[in-house]
Amino acid sequence: MNLPLFTTDLCLKCNICTAACPVAAVTDLFPGPKFVGPQAERYRHPRLSMPDVSVDWCSGCGICSRVCPHGVAVAEINILAKGRLTKERHTPLRDQLIAHPELLGRIASPIAPVANTSIHLRPARWLLEKTIGISRHAPIPTFTRIPLRKRFRDRCFDTPLDIKHDIDHTVAFFHGCSSNYYEPELGEQTIAILERLGYEVVIPPQICCGLPLQSNGLFDAARRHAQANITWLAPFAKQGIPIVGTSTSCTLMLKHDYRTILGIRGEDVETIATSTYDFFEFLTIFVKNEINRIKFNSLHARALYHPPCKLRNHGIGAPALSILRQIPELQLHLSESECCGAGGTYGMKLEKFPVAYEVGQGLFNQISQLELDFVICDSETCRWWIAKHTGLPVYHPLEIMARAMDIQP
Amino acid sequence: MTEVLIVGAGLTGLFASLLVAERGNAVTLVAQGRGGLELSHGCIDIWGRATPSRALSRLRKSHPYRLAGTAALHAALEFFEEITQQAEYPFPGSISRNLHLPTALGAIHPTALAPQSLAQGDLFDGTPFTLAGIDNLRDFYPQLAASNLRRAGIAVQSVLDLPIPLDDTRHDFYTSDLAHLFDKSNWREEVARVWKPQLIGIKRLGLPAVLGLRDPQHVLEDLQERLGLTLFEIPTLPPSLPGLRLEVILRRRALNTGVHFIEGPRVVGRIDGRSDGRRVSGVVLQTVGGPRVHTADVVILATGGILNGGLVFQQDGRVQESVFDLPVNYDQGRGYWTTTSPLDSQPYSGYGLLVNDLMQPLDAKGAPIFENLYVAGGLLGGADRTMEGSRQGIDLATAYRAVEVALG
Amino acid sequence: MPVLSTQLLVIGGGSTGLGVAWDACLRGLKVVLVEQGDLGQGTSGRYHGLLHSGGRYVISDPTSACDCAVENRVLRQIVPHTIEDTGGLFLATPTDPIDFPDRWFAACQELGVSAEEITTAEALRLEPALNPRISRVFRVQDGSLDSFDLLHTLTAEIKRAGGQVWLRHRVEKLILNGNTIVAAEIRALDTDELLTIGADFFVNATGPWAGQVASLADIKVPIALGKGSMVAMATRPIHTVINRCRPSSDGDIIVPVGTVAVLGTTDVEVQQPTDTTIEPWEVDFLLAQGEILVPQLAYQRPLRAWAGVRPLYRPTTGELGETRELPRSQIILDHADRDGLQGLISVFSGKLTIFRLMAEQVMDLVCKQMNIAAVCHTAETPLTMTSRSFYKLPDRLAKLEVTTSHDLPQVVCECELVTRLAIEEALRFASTLDLDEVRRELRLGMGPCQAGFCAFRAAGIAHELAPTAPASGGLTPFLEERWRGMVPLGWGHTLRQMELTRRIYLELLQTHSLPEPTK
Repeated sequence: MNLPLFTTDLCLKCNICTAACPVAAVTDLFPGPKFVGPQAERYRHPRLSMPDVSVDWCSGCGICSRVCPHGVAVAEINILAKGRLTKERHTPLRDQLIAHPELLGRIASPIAPVANTSIHLRPARWLLEKTIGISRHAPIPTFTRIPLRKRFRDRCFDTPLDIKHDIDHTVAFFHGCSSNYYEPELGEQTIAILERLGYEVVIPPQICCGLPLQSNGLFDAARRHAQANITWLAPFAKQGIPIVGTSTSCTLMLKHDYRTILGIRGEDVETIATSTYDFFEFLTIFVKNEINRIKFNSLHARALYHPPCKLRNHGIGAPALSILRQIPELQLHLSESECCGAGGTYGMKLEKFPVAYEVGQGLFNQISQLELDFVICDSETCRWWIAKHTGLPVYHPLEIMARAMDIQP
Repeated sequence: MTEVLIVGAGLTGLFASLLVAERGNAVTLVAQGRGGLELSHGCIDIWGRATPSRALSRLRKSHPYRLAGTAALHAALEFFEEITQQAEYPFPGSISRNLHLPTALGAIHPTALAPQSLAQGDLFDGTPFTLAGIDNLRDFYPQLAASNLRRAGIAVQSVLDLPIPLDDTRHDFYTSDLAHLFDKSNWREEVARVWKPQLIGIKRLGLPAVLGLRDPQHVLEDLQERLGLTLFEIPTLPPSLPGLRLEVILRRRALNTGVHFIEGPRVVGRIDGRSDGRRVSGVVLQTVGGPRVHTADVVILATGGILNGGLVFQQDGRVQESVFDLPVNYDQGRGYWTTTSPLDSQPYSGYGLLVNDLMQPLDAKGAPIFENLYVAGGLLGGADRTMEGSRQGIDLATAYRAVEVALG
Repeated sequence: MPVLSTQLLVIGGGSTGLGVAWDACLRGLKVVLVEQGDLGQGTSGRYHGLLHSGGRYVISDPTSACDCAVENRVLRQIVPHTIEDTGGLFLATPTDPIDFPDRWFAACQELGVSAEEITTAEALRLEPALNPRISRVFRVQDGSLDSFDLLHTLTAEIKRAGGQVWLRHRVEKLILNGNTIVAAEIRALDTDELLTIGADFFVNATGPWAGQVASLADIKVPIALGKGSMVAMATRPIHTVINRCRPSSDGDIIVPVGTVAVLGTTDVEVQQPTDTTIEPWEVDFLLAQGEILVPQLAYQRPLRAWAGVRPLYRPTTGELGETRELPRSQIILDHADRDGLQGLISVFSGKLTIFRLMAEQVMDLVCKQMNIAAVCHTAETPLTMTSRSFYKLPDRLAKLEVTTSHDLPQVVCECELVTRLAIEEALRFASTLDLDEVRRELRLGMGPCQAGFCAFRAAGIAHELAPTAPASGGLTPFLEERWRGMVPLGWGHTLRQMELTRRIYLELLQTHSLPEPTK
């Protein structure tokens, strides 16, 4: 039995998670995290087929687990149930496709200009919606022609043994699919900031963390991705090199989901979990004093910061805030919403899009009332989603930090 | 600037975090999950069994109210009223006279302060009222409430069932689901259109508490105007809207005052730094990745009692404080903890930490354990909040006292 | 005083009494059954839910073993809807007597109790939560049987066949004419009225009360009372019945039944049939024994504890053994033979699994004494399923999922997925507003929150159905009954749950300040 299922019995039915669930709040297709989680779990017989499909409406944001004061891993129970559902039923082609952002990136990046133009064309979106059910209102990222790894071939190391410099001031960058294929500029700035702060950055071999696969219930494939990453990253972690990522969902996979949801055990995965840091978490722990000494440039702007669900699920608060607050003249508003609705690949699905959009309404309204210059958010799928639905630029907090440090993209 | 770490995000922790932040200090609020507000009626009970202002001075010296002091209670209430006023969710009532509000069961709930939408249901108000349920809402039964109120000699003018314009409901809804709908003005317009013809001749109408979450006072006023009558709400089974609203208000203010929320991890340990065990110089958080150290000048423990995990009752008959394993005042042995009826006073309700009048936890000899550790709220022993009707008053007064002492 | 008459009066509405009444109906007798409580309040409703394969008794009580093996197959034919075919395993652990499994297996084969040895790897594939250190595993034909369902089905069937079942009626006097019992004086507990019922024959099937009922006719029944405590875990860690393969002793079984798993049992001699207080050591012992078979129980929540009182046979002439050592087989006492009193048979002991057989044997004897030539038909007459029975996993959840959008199910008890419609039907059917009666029929309030949420809702519904009845009169007793089952487990998350119940009923609803219900 997976660890989260042990927590089923801790549920008091108190409905704190029900009231916090952003999806249940906007649709009655989803009976709520308690209902499909610890409650329904008591009825699922391992040797009989899944009796319920409503759990498929869970967006996987993880708020339920975070707000539960009794220790129930509600979201994890639900993700496992979705995995069972997928295994028992057939997975639509659409879900297979969006679960493979890296594969898409590998195919599309050599022909990026053509791919980008055609995929964003209205008829193409219409076709995608009609044929496989990808909502034409959902944002689709732009492929880059030259992936990050190609831009920094000299920093790619297969093993820590090849590193020549001071190991104590080395970090391993887990760039994820997004910084490699879609937003390589973000990766460049990450490296620049870390180097400015005195760190050497190495890029270990890696593939997609597997979250899109896991969210779409494709556990076996997700586990293969996880195993590959564990094999590649463990030598670095065991050398005491921190693994730093800017994508909050990728780092959460390394820290949490590999062990808790995919059920991977062993010393390697444990070491990786404890050695992995969100970019800002790393800064506030390892270079707190250096950061306090930085004189940031003024940034005369009005912005709203929305810490994404996946970051909040790290259980580290919002470490970027303390740094953003140091930037002079940056007028910072805080999001009053738990979730923007995107839910990774959830909002791309034709049938889920209206729910996802409705979840995001609260945030979109807050943004439109504030007359902002831009929005700040750590997670890429949330950034694309918020940008699409508000028309404002949405930046990773490190892009703002880079700007205030005169680091040009 | 003092760096304060507060553990626990119930009424006590949130209120304390605001007090600290608004005095210009850095606050980090760590909590494993959310507190008990959503499970509560959302009013401020100070002393349910008698007039609060008179009863409190006669309490035992070890009672949390006595330890915190009357001044702290009054100051806390003043700040609380300021917060709720500014959030446009005012709490009428006073410490010198309890309101008497109907419960969903039709019993009478004496409470000192209640949000306006609840306070308008005061049973001794004199205006006749009607109770109305909402079709298909399984958490409110107006017939039952009315019968019980009538048995207690309270006149209920009539009882109604009101439809809601939802034509396609796939699953049962909770009051929170309805509240999200009432937040929308087009929904209220539609509801008012459907309800109005059924409400002729009614001056005061009691409904289950579902009238909005984000901006409830506006929802109340808007709906009252559309329907042309006074509305009052009755809290229902959890998630209880009035409690949830208070949580939203406190959280929103805390966020905007710069309180740093760390939600999720458990506090699993303490670091003493160079203090030789006299001070808590930081705590260890068990985050999903691994343990992380968080340092602070002052630590306030507001983890609550048994319901939210501040106290852990063990099979072997021990009761433990869950964060620092501080000494707990209790009877050893499971057999002593409960009685045979859930409606009686329970011995376990009074268990908790012993503190001095500085809200510092005490060791067996009665000496403070750490110089900079303070305790407030449900974790404190010496009070049976359920039977006294004193839960929220103790939370606010002790939080106020702890912050006042901690910041010097 | 009203006087009625019938051919057969059955005293006691447990599985045995109802079984006798049903058998009598099928043989064409006019039957009245009286029960002092509601259905399932006695020993039949307070058992662990096991449909015995017979394996448990192959060494200690071979007759019972054979009877169980046969009746197991019969019940699967006649009441399949009350049974979950879980299958069963007998596990030997390294600390159990090493020679026992072979002796046990040989006895199974000799007695015709189906058993086959499987590898521990196979067992762990089937049930991954089992202790991997088990040494031997045998597969048997155990199942779980919902006794509430069974009792309701029998009652419905008796009524359909023209018999009468009177609940909340207590026999206060047995009236003799010479050395023959001719009538019983009965008190209707709802109205406090007395009535007399004359009958040609009487069957005392009152389980642990058999001695007290017999004493109304100045007869002594050699009965000993063995209290057995059980603990239900909030979820099922296993989906097969798990038995410990060792000589019968306390804490040797785990039965998955409905949504829970029941750890059983202890055996403590008590003096009164109502003596069901559970000692802390019993709970600790059952949990510790359970963890040996299924280690993850250590992380699970014990939900509720209860005790049933077994009526056991202890002849006054024999040596006075511990109740654990007394035989489990059925005892039928013909008081004409034994005490020279005509017209009365007492039946007790035995197992729920063999209730039908016991009834058949009783009725054979009754018919012989009454010179009636009718034969038993119960073994080949399937019982009709009552509309409300669907307790097997995952039925209730599956049913909710297919409900159409326009037919809002209104789940009142969210843990056990009991709908408003089912409660309304049950309240009408039971002609009572007692929520505890509804609970036993529907499993209302029997899940993790132990009625913390649904008691209020059910009270509201009950009141809407009968607005003139004392408002929420049934709420407090219902809550108190649920609380009693949690008190022995009052630590950890169970105590947290109890505290949530108090927050809801005392702080939110202020139940304790309601005026006393007026009678």
